[in-house]
Amino acid sequence: MENTLISLAHGFGIAFHLDNLWYAFLGCVVGTLVGVLPGIGPLSGIAILLPVTFGLNATQAVIMLAGIYYGSQYGGSTTSILMRIPGEASSVMTCIDGNAMAKKGRAGAALCISAVGSWVAGTFGVVMLTLVAPPLATIALKFGPPEYTAMLTLGLIFLAYMSSSSLVRTLLMACIGLLLGMIGIDNMTGHFRYAFDLPELGDGIGIVPVAVGLFGLGEILSTPSHTVVGEVISPKLRELLPNRQEWRESYMPIARGSVLGFVIGIIPGSAHIISSFLSYALERRISKHPEEFGKGAVAGVAGPESANNSASTGAFVPMLALGIPTGPITAVLMGALMVHGVNPGPQLVTEHPDVFWGFVASMYVGNLMLLALNLPLVGLFVTVLRIPYAYLYPLIIMFCIVGVYEVGHSIVDVWIMLIMGVLGYALRKFQFDPAPLVLGLVIAPLLEQSLRQSLIMSNGNYTIFFTRPISLGLLIVCAILLGLSAITFVLKQKDWRTKLAEAEAGEETT
Amino acid sequence: MTLRADHVAGAFFILFGIVVHALSGDLPTGQLSMPGSGFMPKIVATLTMLFGLALVLRAKESVPFSEVSWSGGQHALLVTVITAGAIALYEHLGFIVTMLLLIMTLLLVVERRHPLRAGLYSAALVLFTYVCFAWMLKTPLPEYSF
Repeated sequence: MENTLISLAHGFGIAFHLDNLWYAFLGCVVGTLVGVLPGIGPLSGIAILLPVTFGLNATQAVIMLAGIYYGSQYGGSTTSILMRIPGEASSVMTCIDGNAMAKKGRAGAALCISAVGSWVAGTFGVVMLTLVAPPLATIALKFGPPEYTAMLTLGLIFLAYMSSSSLVRTLLMACIGLLLGMIGIDNMTGHFRYAFDLPELGDGIGIVPVAVGLFGLGEILSTPSHTVVGEVISPKLRELLPNRQEWRESYMPIARGSVLGFVIGIIPGSAHIISSFLSYALERRISKHPEEFGKGAVAGVAGPESANNSASTGAFVPMLALGIPTGPITAVLMGALMVHGVNPGPQLVTEHPDVFWGFVASMYVGNLMLLALNLPLVGLFVTVLRIPYAYLYPLIIMFCIVGVYEVGHSIVDVWIMLIMGVLGYALRKFQFDPAPLVLGLVIAPLLEQSLRQSLIMSNGNYTIFFTRPISLGLLIVCAILLGLSAITFVLKQKDWRTKLAEAEAGEETT
Repeated sequence: MTLRADHVAGAFFILFGIVVHALSGDLPTGQLSMPGSGFMPKIVATLTMLFGLALVLRAKESVPFSEVSWSGGQHALLVTVITAGAIALYEHLGFIVTMLLLIMTLLLVVERRHPLRAGLYSAALVLFTYVCFAWMLKTPLPEYSF
């Protein structure tokens, strides 16, 4: 514990360096804008801006990109409350009561509760990250290839289980991602795989063209500008503070949302989306006035907004401590660290303490910045919301092209982005969520290498996965999750995942 | 029998798995004690086919293929073609000319905006971005190279 505090103090020394403060600030502002603007999610925002960080060192890069990530969680609530359009998926639940509060003339209070809840939850998440990640990394140092194989398999199955679309659809997307991740030179034998004599494919398909294509361009192709309309409710600055009753109704949902969000954030899957749904369901279940939900209940804003911010921070635990991304956003962040020569994983704390602790400390500062930024600048964000989408998306396409090209100065990457954009459009038409594809792409090399190493270690005896306690335990959890999914399927029950899908679909059609 | 969305999607993924198997023909599978470079791709391609088959078998839960909404398809096609044109020209015409053409074409052809407003917006946006990338962030952007 003492070591943790000393290291954290060292991290604050790094975070308070003027350059790092500037990049945290920049990340928070850009992230808020990314969250505010419909059509650009945190994933495409981070992927598009990744090349901008190439001139920075690893600490500055990850500070800025993480700022974009958690900044977008703050920003997403603004459009939800003022326009009833979720700026990004995790803000879907905030639309319901946030916009109802706005229509009752309490837009300012809803924005303030959402910002304070986000700050409390974000800070709670960072405290937990500070306490949990270093000991977890120490345990993970004992992991060998069989444990990594089991853990990555569990990650994929967890993602499929937690996903709001069906298990088969999610696993299908993950398989496509895994196959794409196997393009290029095989690290163990040197064979060229599926490169079609294109030297640019020798190093494989990058995560940036795939992520930007699927989520940036794909979203634009699926969204004709005439479908993006919305009335913006402008809150007055003097109405920003909630009254005493609203504060009283918000503090317990914020506390519950913070804890719930962090726990769910650690689990692979679209944690920030799931956590906001579960928090909303929990608040409605335990409320003395459940009939108020949907008509402007304060808890319906405070709980989900806190949960999604806490989950965003929780998702960093497995990424930093184990080197395993829990979702596509942390996968892109991992890719960003790798571009800078830093491999996330158990050795990160010991080999790159400046990056790890500087990043953790910057998140405390970043959350405070976001609280200070979001309320006074709400007028500016409302102005941004008034820019017609028809003028906005050509700008996003330009950034997609420039962003992808600048990663490796390769036009092949930009063509891949376009192909992925068209694929993303088609997948949406057939109700597939492209997020597991990105996760599959990122973990493919690690999964393949650890599986093959495990088999070589055991001289081809696959029981190696069942004779080592950690890997056996992880595989038992896999079996339980698959069993639970099978029961739901056989009994045709509507579990919470189906309800989540229905809630998301219902909100999209309003 | 009604052709449903998941029939089409499942069939596509089965076909995709078959194509991957065909392309993996010259990759050695190896043995369990020494897996080759084709080992993992073949396993994943087989899983893709199995999941595709599961999708086909459960297709009655999905909407009929004829009801899949393609509204906005024209927008998607136009944006794709214009973006493809910009990508093809990017390394030859450079950042400024290509992006100016891209944004203007999108605003004029897809969005039917006023030409003067579209021109001014495109020019201002491209120049601002160029200044940000080339001067402030010191990131080299492609120049005209014909």
